[in-house]
Order: sequence, then structure tokens, then C-alpha cells
Amino acid sequence: MSAELPIVNEFNQGPISCHAFNHDRSELAVCFNTNVVSVFRNAGAGWTLAWTLAEHDKPVTSVDWAPKSNRIVTCSQDRNAYVWTLDSSLQQWKPTLVLLRINRAATFVRWSPQEDKFAVASGSRCISVCYFEEDNDWWVGKHIKKPIRSTVLSLDWHPNNVLLAAGCADMKARVFSAFIKGIDKKPAPSPWGEKLPFNTVCGEFSNGTGGWIHSVAFSPDGDSLAFTGHDSTMTVVSPATGSVQSVRTPYLPYLSTIWLNENQIVAAGYDCAPHLFELKGELWDFSSSLDAAVKKVDVGFTARDTFRRMDSRAQSTTTNDTEVHTHHQNTINSTRVFAGTREHVEQYSTSGVDGKLIIWSTDNIAKGLANMHLKTGLVDCIYENDMSRKGDFKPGYVATKVDLSARELDKVLAEDVEVCKMGVRGGAGDKESVSIDL
Amino acid sequence: MSNTLRPYLNAVRQTLKAAMCLENFSSQVAERHNKPEVETGTSKEVLLNPVIISRNDKERVLIETSVNSLRVSIAIKQADEIERILAHKFTRFLTQRAESFVILRRKPIEGYDISFLITNSHAEQMYKHKLVDFIIQFMEEVDKEISEMKLSLNARARIVSESYLSQFN
Amino acid sequence: MAFRKIDIDALEEDALGQDELDFQEIGEPRPPHEVEDEVNSRSQEVRFLLQRGNAAGALSSALNNPPYGRHLEAAKARNTQTVMEVLNSIKVADVAQLVKNLTFEEQDVLMKYLYAGMAAPEQNNSGVLLAWHEKVIDTNPNSRASLDLSGRLSEIAGPGCIIRVITDRRTV
Repeated sequence: MSAELPIVNEFNQGPISCHAFNHDRSELAVCFNTNVVSVFRNAGAGWTLAWTLAEHDKPVTSVDWAPKSNRIVTCSQDRNAYVWTLDSSLQQWKPTLVLLRINRAATFVRWSPQEDKFAVASGSRCISVCYFEEDNDWWVGKHIKKPIRSTVLSLDWHPNNVLLAAGCADMKARVFSAFIKGIDKKPAPSPWGEKLPFNTVCGEFSNGTGGWIHSVAFSPDGDSLAFTGHDSTMTVVSPATGSVQSVRTPYLPYLSTIWLNENQIVAAGYDCAPHLFELKGELWDFSSSLDAAVKKVDVGFTARDTFRRMDSRAQSTTTNDTEVHTHHQNTINSTRVFAGTREHVEQYSTSGVDGKLIIWSTDNIAKGLANMHLKTGLVDCIYENDMSRKGDFKPGYVATKVDLSARELDKVLAEDVEVCKMGVRGGAGDKESVSIDL
Repeated sequence: MSNTLRPYLNAVRQTLKAAMCLENFSSQVAERHNKPEVETGTSKEVLLNPVIISRNDKERVLIETSVNSLRVSIAIKQADEIERILAHKFTRFLTQRAESFVILRRKPIEGYDISFLITNSHAEQMYKHKLVDFIIQFMEEVDKEISEMKLSLNARARIVSESYLSQFN
Repeated sequence: MAFRKIDIDALEEDALGQDELDFQEIGEPRPPHEVEDEVNSRSQEVRFLLQRGNAAGALSSALNNPPYGRHLEAAKARNTQTVMEVLNSIKVADVAQLVKNLTFEEQDVLMKYLYAGMAAPEQNNSGVLLAWHEKVIDTNPNSRASLDLSGRLSEIAGPGCIIRVITDRRTV
């Protein structure tokens, strides 16, 4: 593979619950599932710990770094949020308590695009939209309460600085107006609505098969909303056209979602790998996994071994294979844009329970897709004289075992030895059972 | 090995894989607490449908899932009185040492012989696939263990009775 | 002191109760007799299709529009029985092809019935259900094997189908 490999940062300090980069990506705030946030600095030779933000007394659930104003906001299960500002003379981060007025855990926090507000999701069935009050010199929160019925799990701001999407454990994704008088100017009309006083519900969506909404994300232009549920679905809604599309995937649920551009969405979660969804014509569909996973070379078992294993352990060799082949070895719980613009993301970062933070490049995707088409051609040729099974194969699916004669095998091998490594398993007569390992 | 064991364990493995999608979730009821929701059951919306996988009417597995915890209860095969006693003694031995098994629940759910409680912190400390492997392996071993114990019990009884009766000839 | 025994958490207004959850996820409950009629006529239709040897037709019509809701226990049991009849009458060799031809929606419903069947091992043959379970996971076309970008095979079985059995509050 010529494509760039993802950059893996391993901290080995326990699961990462959240992470955020500063504007030029030279500093990184990470929480290792504890009550402190560690701020690392990258001086070219890897990440070194620069500051520790210790003010919370329960695990920190979310952190966000405002790129322009260089402020960090953290929130925690101790029901508090702090805004941290860097004192340039002392070179110390100074916390300011935020009056959230919530009585359960804070679960998620994000700065608005203009950085004059932030929203805190909480377990007390509300969202606190916080803004700075000059007179009193503190951050105060205003509650979005109705019609939230359970813990809010995730938030995303619309680029217009007013609309806020929330994914909730009551199986609904909603779009609210978080318009604060005196701070926001009247927003331009959008497909979500025209008149937007605070706490207007601009949309309420569900994915049809239940499950909490783990993540929400506005499209780059803000006209569509993508959300993922615990039922392993990805749903994209566009109020302008009224379309609601749910993609059922055969994988495990996704915990976080970002848009790469108007036609591509990346979601990552319990499957330990980022997955790509693409707009094909009018329809959203699952495209592929973006983790160029390293699969161990199959040593190959003799028939005797295989049967002995099946007999003694009641397992066939294939189902016994429980290794995780992806870069992340455990659940990915956070995905952030690393480089590029909102309209065109060039790099994104993922962090997970395995304590790794990985930076992925999106130009792999284009190369990878081209590569895949090449292989489609190859497999078609294997299927050529078995018309009944030819239709089976679509890009993205591959049959693991194909019966073909030795002569056909030679033909295939001669055509593309580079791409196709074949393990010939023992067979009888001129038919050989071949497993294609592309 | 009987041919229904493999699909049975396979189904349990797949279901566990799907059910073991846990996250850190702080209680909505008790302030500043973090409790396994499957045990408290106070917030209905974070509980999911329990499923049962059965091999026959004696051997079955109940999997109850919630947002931050998962309860797996296993009913072990007990064909006769001796197996019943052995299974009871064996599971009692394990549950009394629950803390060294980390995910073992101290008391099984009613109708089952042994229960495991897996929370999000277990899934964070240990690899998820290894946890699944552990439970599957436990299910494989426990049947074997009990039938072995039954054999050695019978063998022992035979020796005892032989040596006892040998005094009379 | 009786007031100490009051479960004050149950009085929390904003908390979602079971009834409300059912209403939100399933919708307006349908009258039981109407559902029962539907289930009975479907059972006859399915039996007719099975007698004519149309297994595929019988399977998809048995999985069509299952009764959802808490108050429909009788209709649910009846419908489960119908599905079980179909599953038991299909030869193991044909299972893979039949499952493959189902829509995603139907596969999800089938999975629900497999678990519903396994929950009552006295009435149903778990061996048959386990065999079906394995086939649904295996033959889910997306799940069998998917090609990731590097072009290597990443073998992921289809737990998405099981996830939806667990999350979907429209139980059978």
C-alpha cells in the first residue's frame, strides 16, 4: 500500500475519554478517564506533558478547545464545567467556574463556532447553553429543557452559531435553537426554520429501530444532520428535501461522527475502526472500513488439526479467531477534525478506550477506493465461468472461497500476481478450493 | 462432542459481542453516582431487551444489557441428582471467591446457576474480545469439569464400596 | 413510618415510564381482536404456501408486519408459532439461500423470532433455531467479509442484526 499510514500516538495512561487540539495542533488536551485533563505540547519530538488541569473531582467527560480565543472548556460527572484561560505572564491555565445549574453529570461540551457560547449536555435531562455575562464576570447557563426526556449524550453546533443538535438517550435526535438575546444576531433563514427564539425545537428525529443516539453532526453547510444510534444505524436527515435516510449496518454501533465533506461521513465506535459512509446519487450507503487492518498471515491448519480443534474445543478455526486486527484495539469514543476546513477535512483524529490517539489522513480514501475497483475486476474474472455466482459480487463484498480448476487458477495468477496472494488449500482432482486473500 | 454445542456457543459469542457495547454513564437518579443500570433498573430507557439463548430446556444463557452494564446468567446442564449437587457446590465455590474473578456476580439470577456482571469499567480495563472469550471458555469448561467430577466421584465410591465389601469375603 | 417507603424516584415527572416508552417506540396500540384476526389469517396463508412448497413465500409472509406491543401476548405467541412452523419445515440446505434473499428488514425480524423461539426451549427445537441463527449471521452479505481500503479481508460477522434485536423495543 502506497497510501500514508495513520499516525498512532500511544500514551499508555489508560483509556482516553476525550481529546481536543488547539488551533495549530501543537498542543493537545486529553483526559485519561480521570478527574484531571492533561495538556501536552508537541515540540517536534512527540508529546510531552506541559500542564495538568486539576479542578474537577469526578471523571472528566468532555473537553473542547476554542481555536481563535484559545480557551479550554471541560465538563465532568461532578456536575461542573470550567473555562480555562491561559495567563500569559505566569504561563498557567486559570479556571473559571461556570454556573451550569444542573444537578446530574455533565456529559458533553462544545464551543459554538463564534466561540462566544458553549453548550453543555447533561444527565439532568437538559442542555445548558452558556454565555459570558460581563457585569458579573462569570459564565451563566440557560437551559434547554423541553422535550428532552433522558440524558443528552452528544451535541453539535450549526455553523450559524444559533442552532444546536442534540443526541439523547430517549432515542431521539433533536435540533434546537440556542439563540441568546444580546449575543447573537438574528440568523439568516435556513431549512431548519426562520423565526428561532431560544428553545425552539426545529426538528425531532428517530432512527426507527430504537437505541440511544450516540452522536450528531451537522453537514458542512449545515443543511443536513447525521446521527448514529445504538442500533448500528446511521441516519441522515435533510429538512430542505424532507428526506430521512437510515442506513442499517451489520456492524457494531457508532459513538462519534464527523462529515469529511458534503458527500462523505466518517463514523467510529465499538468496531474499533472508522467507517466511511458515502452519498451515492441520492442515497447514503455504507462504503467501507477505513482502517487498513493488518491481518495475521493464516498459518493454515491440516485437516487433522482442524477436526481435533473442533472436537476438543467445539470451535472451528474461523470462529476461534477473536484477535482485533484494527489499529485501535478497543472502542473509539471520540472523532475530531484535525486538519482542513469544515467543507474539506484533510485529517481527523480518533481516540479510544485503548489509550491510543490516531491521526488519519483522508487522501487515503481516494487512493484506497481506486485500489478497490482494481480488485473488483479481478474477482469478476474469477467468477467469469460461474455465471450463477457472478452477480453475488459487488464492490465491498468478497467471497472467501471459490471453486475453480487449476487452469483457471493459473490464468488468474498470471494476470495479477501483485495484488492477489492465494493460498491453495488441498483439494481433490482438478478442482481446487482456493481462498483469495486480496 | 455433540453437534449442538458449537452453534450454541457461537450464538452466545455473537450475542455477547453485540451486547458488550458499554459506555460510561452516570446515574440519572442518584446525584454524583455511577451505578450499573442493569442492576438498579431505575431508568427504563437505558435498559435493552433481555435475550435468551438456549441449547435445550436445561442449558440456556440469559443476556441482559443496559447502557453501562451487562448481566450474563448461565444455566448449567444438570441431568441427575449428582450433577445438580456438583453444579451447586461448584458455582458456590466460585461465587464465594467472586472478587478474584472480577466479573462474577455474587448471587446468580433466579432460575440460573451463575451470573456475571460486566460493567463499562471492566470493558475499559480488559479487552472486550478477551472478556467474551473468557465467558465462552467458562461455558465450555464447566460442563467438562462437572462430568469429570462426576466420574471421579463414581470411581471413588466404587473403590470405597469395594474395600468395604472386601472385608466380608 | 409509611412515608419512608415512598419511592420518590418514581415520582420524577421527566423520567420516561415504560408506557410512554412503548408509546414512543411502537405507536398507538392496536385493538387486540383486530391483530388476532390478522395473525390467524396469516397463519393459514403461511400453511397454504408451505403445502404448495413455496418456502420462500411462506417465510417472508410469516415475517411480514409482526404484532408489536405489550398487550398482545396471545397474538404474539400465535405468530411466533407460525414462524416456528416455517423454520422447522425448511431443509437445512436451503436456509442460506433463503436468508440471503430476505431484505434487511426481514432479516432483523427473523432474528427477533429466533431469540423469541429460543426463550421457550420447551416448545421449540433450539437446535434448529441455533442453526438458523448461525446462518443469518453468516449469510448477511455485508457481514460475511468486507473489503477494507487496503484490500485485505476483514472478517466481521454481522452483530448489527443482533444489536437491533436488543435495542428495538418493538419486541415479538
